[in-house]
Amino acid sequence: MSASIEIAGVSKVYDGGVRAVDTVAMDIRQGEFFSLLGPSGCGKTTTLRMIAGFETPSAGAIRVDGADITHVPAHKRDMGMVFQNYALFPHRTVAENVAFGLRMRGLDKTTIAAKVKAALAMVELSGLEDRRPAQLSGGQQQRVALARAIVIAPRVLLCDEPLGALDKKLRQQMQFELKQLQKKLGLTLVFVTHDQEEALAMSDRIAVMNGGRVEQVGTPTEIYDQPKTRFVADFIGDTNIFRGERVGPNLDVGKNLILALPATEAQGAAVLSVALRPEKIRLTLRADVAGAAGSSVHGMVENTNFLGGAVLYRVTLEGGHRVLVQQPNAGTTHLFVPGNGVTLEWTPADLVVLKD
Amino acid sequence: MQTSASHSPSLPTARQTTSVRMPGPARHYGRYLYLALNAAILIFLLAPIAIVVVFALNPTPFIQFPPVGVSLRWFEKFFASRDFMQALGFSLEVAVLTTLSATVLGASAALALARGNLPGTRLIVATMLSPLMLPAILTGLALFQTYVLLDVGRPTWGLVAGHTLVTLPYVVRTTLAVLHNFDTRLEEAAQNLGASPLRTFFEVTLPLIKPGVMAGAIFAFIVSFDQFPVSLFLVSPGNETLPVTLFNYLKFDLDGTIGAASVVSIVLAFVVVIGLDRTVGLRSYVKL
Repeated sequence: MSASIEIAGVSKVYDGGVRAVDTVAMDIRQGEFFSLLGPSGCGKTTTLRMIAGFETPSAGAIRVDGADITHVPAHKRDMGMVFQNYALFPHRTVAENVAFGLRMRGLDKTTIAAKVKAALAMVELSGLEDRRPAQLSGGQQQRVALARAIVIAPRVLLCDEPLGALDKKLRQQMQFELKQLQKKLGLTLVFVTHDQEEALAMSDRIAVMNGGRVEQVGTPTEIYDQPKTRFVADFIGDTNIFRGERVGPNLDVGKNLILALPATEAQGAAVLSVALRPEKIRLTLRADVAGAAGSSVHGMVENTNFLGGAVLYRVTLEGGHRVLVQQPNAGTTHLFVPGNGVTLEWTPADLVVLKD
Repeated sequence: MQTSASHSPSLPTARQTTSVRMPGPARHYGRYLYLALNAAILIFLLAPIAIVVVFALNPTPFIQFPPVGVSLRWFEKFFASRDFMQALGFSLEVAVLTTLSATVLGASAALALARGNLPGTRLIVATMLSPLMLPAILTGLALFQTYVLLDVGRPTWGLVAGHTLVTLPYVVRTTLAVLHNFDTRLEEAAQNLGASPLRTFFEVTLPLIKPGVMAGAIFAFIVSFDQFPVSLFLVSPGNETLPVTLFNYLKFDLDGTIGAASVVSIVLAFVVVIGLDRTVGLRSYVKL
């Protein structure tokens, strides 16, 4: 049965004083697809390895379904893990790899054979039982690793960048399959990745990590639409960040640009940063409208980046700020070219105030 | 300017082409030279063995070239000699015991050195490999003096200990080499799947380092079976290894029996290597 995990003030300090993980706290719910997202060196893999039992926390506790497992050795934790490079046993066949965990649990041969067969069928690898890992493609190895981890019906499935080595198309397919499998089995899944798109696409909730700390925990939409810190806003997707001084209900960000703050942010710090997503800005040819002060501004298209489904523009504002603007390629929208004079408009509520 | 030079069929460009591509016959000469050199090296390596075989099969009781015929009389004499047969049996016994002890000790030491986070690892490795650098005769003499000081006599275990000392470096070296490329995540994967550390060792670690351990074991067997300087000091009269018996025999006689004994040793070494290949599938790991 799937379990919940509680990470309570966990730190990991290595010899020499490197603080890889710094008082991390999070609750992972039962049956949840939970991602640890961040750049390399942010502590996400170390956190996962502490959950798996490969590293011992220097401080804090890890609880599974309320029971403290901080000092339980890895082989008694009953967790499945899919490693970054799969870590398949090269001297064993596909079937033997999948059977390994069942054998360690002392199941009898017929039960093992039946379970292995079912697991391989689930990942669509039936017929490859007698191959060696070296004879499989990357995608197939990935599936074997997954089958090996889920066949033991683990309380928690841990994944360390499992899709990192696959090409884009296969990766997307595996994202769908993994997510589907996780929902079908009701697995609690902790997924480590540095790929924000992957995390947004797959997760129920995401913990964004940086420098050993958790910056924000939230659903993909919360993380994307209401980033709490400058790091989160910057790391997830493209964004425009402005920093300035509060002047009444507005924010003066210099170079003749004054932004109207959302009504909910009437009180607060005198100096602050705000984020504005490129796709929240509407772009029109300059002559067309005269926009409202504080939520519209004039500029000139400097660069265009055609993304297929959308177009990304870099616009230089009159005062000199550079802003990214994304417009859908919807057919009805005008495609601008460099040199076009444009008006940018947005809703003040789309500005997100950030903690530094 | 560069582009114009490469496009125009001027003299410098043409000359460059001829100097880079060697004309056909010259390349063939290079290939023949290469083959000839390799053949020379092979002959240099194998000629002494061939001479021993010729010597063993030649019926005359002295080294003679060209051989006057083919006979098995020296083999007959070798196998009929009680001294030689006893020495051969003793040599095999010592080699097997040495292989066992050197392999277990050497592989364990290599594991501890590669994984144990011990202080002074480099120094320990250097010490363990030092018997390779020292002349074996010094090792033999030192052991002899030690045994005399300890007043233990010259027991078989003493000889095996001496052989273990000089064969250990081979096992340590070959095992360290495979451990160096070992992906420790495989062990983590095993533990994650519920294997205790001990179980992980036997299910994952040992099978994967087996090629290195086996290569070391083969070296240990051959080096022990062939060992002379250390044995010379440590054997007791009447209980001698084959190389020592051969040496003693040579002092008084020089006939084809020596050649026959050598051929038997060579064949035995081959049998061991091929036997290990058949039983543990060496070839799938190491190119022999």
